[in-house]
Amino acid sequence: MTESGLQPWWIVARSEEVTSREPLSVDIGAQPLVLWRDAEGIARALEDRCPHRRAPLSLGCIRDDGWIQCGYHGWSYDGATGRLKQIPNMKGEQRFPPVYKAQAFAIAESGGFVRVCLDPAAAAPAPEVSTMALSGTAHVAIEQAAWIAALYDDPALLIDIRGVRFTPYLMSELREEGGLLVMERSCQWAGLHWPAPFSADFPITVLTRSDPATGRTELPLRDDQFTTLLTAVIAPVPAARGVTAVRWRAEVGRGSGLHGRLLGLGTPFAVREAIDAAALRRSKPSASTHYDDLRARLATSSTPGATAELSRTPVAA
Amino acid sequence: MLDILSRPQDQIDLQHGAAPKPATSLNAVNNWVPHDIVMRDSWFPIAHSYGIGKTPVRRAIYSQPYFVWREGGKAVAAEFHPAEARMREKSIYTDAAGRYPVMEHYGVVWGWFGNPQAADPAHLPSLPFLPPQGGLPKYMTATQRFDCSAPISLENLIDLTHADFLHADVVGDERSDSETIETFYDSETITMVRTLVNKSVAPIMKFFSGIRQPTQNVRQVIRIYLRSHCAIAYGRFEPGDDVPLFHPCTPETRDRTRMEMVMNTSNAGLLFRHIMPMAGYKVSRQDSSMTSPQSPRYMRPTARKDLHSRFDAPGQRYRLLMQDLAARQAGGDFAYRDNVSEDCSDIIGLRKELFRF
Ligand code: FES
Ligand SMILES: [Fe+2]
Repeated sequence: MTESGLQPWWIVARSEEVTSREPLSVDIGAQPLVLWRDAEGIARALEDRCPHRRAPLSLGCIRDDGWIQCGYHGWSYDGATGRLKQIPNMKGEQRFPPVYKAQAFAIAESGGFVRVCLDPAAAAPAPEVSTMALSGTAHVAIEQAAWIAALYDDPALLIDIRGVRFTPYLMSELREEGGLLVMERSCQWAGLHWPAPFSADFPITVLTRSDPATGRTELPLRDDQFTTLLTAVIAPVPAARGVTAVRWRAEVGRGSGLHGRLLGLGTPFAVREAIDAAALRRSKPSASTHYDDLRARLATSSTPGATAELSRTPVAA
Repeated sequence: MLDILSRPQDQIDLQHGAAPKPATSLNAVNNWVPHDIVMRDSWFPIAHSYGIGKTPVRRAIYSQPYFVWREGGKAVAAEFHPAEARMREKSIYTDAAGRYPVMEHYGVVWGWFGNPQAADPAHLPSLPFLPPQGGLPKYMTATQRFDCSAPISLENLIDLTHADFLHADVVGDERSDSETIETFYDSETITMVRTLVNKSVAPIMKFFSGIRQPTQNVRQVIRIYLRSHCAIAYGRFEPGDDVPLFHPCTPETRDRTRMEMVMNTSNAGLLFRHIMPMAGYKVSRQDSSMTSPQSPRYMRPTARKDLHSRFDAPGQRYRLLMQDLAARQAGGDFAYRDNVSEDCSDIIGLRKELFRF
């Protein structure tokens, strides 16, 4: 996945989405996965393909003992190893050769996110620091790379922060900072005011800090006193058929003014399910050009594995 | 017990003394590509007799168009619609007039796909539980569609262990005292016999046949005519009824299947007789929920082998036989080495006294 050849950890689900009631089907690119929680409440990830007759395991069910059972002929698998545990009607003969298993993937859960690495032997990632209370999932009909490019060129096409209007003006252009790609964009409060092109100062900025391997982006919204009004973590993951699955979590900061208090009501953050495609094609690649350049430079200049390593490093808030 | 390196176990080889030397490797059995298989020189069910009248209807076998109608009461099938402006060449599958060989038997219209010269009623599958001249009530028939390749649909059928999960609400769960599976085959057919002792009673029989006992002994037979993709599914339930089903899987395209179903419930009680054929509508959607996502995963070769249990011996034998037949056809050999029209009553264990025509 990364240029260095190491597989990154992808945020494929929010903790709330992974249950022991029913399996969850997700994907990383063309790789379908099934997620669920076993009897101990531990999140598990297998390839969403039963090795018996290739039926999707996500159509099956989770047994009381925590194994996942295929809905077609009832074969049951253990989530930690993927090993076949039971074939119905086999009575006493329930010991199977080691090749009898489904593909298991490395999985880690922290900060309200479930992360999967396609390399089963991958070292566990550093945990996320805290769990933000607000969260959501949006599926968008656009390739992940194009989604990230649009995030840098015109975030209003993709996300919505209540009362906030993104401007085309930047406080700082995209640069590399501690292995992350960082940019700061000026924003206005919605409402009637002097138009952005003629404004001397802007009351708020949105900072974006992206992991170059996965596009996981931390997004703090700050006012001119450097008070954090809102923080969001957005994880765009390539899914099947060119769809991007975006999972996000957010929390409201300590803003005291009218606008800050308004942000505290309900859910002030959203990732759009639908994109204004006509506006998207008109938007010009500006910041995203730097994004691509920097990403390429990071990949070649870093020692092998460094880029992927970045994706395991949580961004301090 | 489980061995991915062993060939499927032969319990009994009916027609030959010993298993014929297969042309197909074991690897190919465990990662076969049924999507690539096209069977020629065979009769395929294309319509229920009652479905064909004076106006042409359009059917397809492997995407090849079949326009079917009646001329003087006789079913005919042509490559071109009578009103069609000919924009394409005639295929090799029809005679000079663009007509396919057609038969009408068992209440079904059959179209021949292959060399028209080779069409012969001797190659029509034996279905001894259906009246040769047709005439079963319409409620015992249906048309069902599956968006999967025909061999995937037949594999589904020949491994009945799936029924305990997918169709538990209709046929009962997997609990039984014992389960044995036997396979019989020749170069054109495969027959699987599944015997269950004290199996949980099928809910549908509990409710509609008034069976009071908690368990029943079950003998289920699946017989597949490889070339025509026609199957017989015959269940004998003690206590309970005899339910023989004609389950053809006509490949309209390589990955779309049409089933002109006929279930002869004439011997069952009034209620069950009507209800059981209707259960097919539910059962086929349950099957489809698995075979439809399955089928695309069998469209391209893969190095990964499917796993199997001893319950899969018939399914693996089916794969092997299909591949052997396909390999022979690829080599230009379309001859029948075994007779598919010979009465199969004994092989399927048909209680003939119940089905006299
Ligand atoms: S396909 Fe999963 S048990 Fe058969
Ligand atoms: Fe079925």
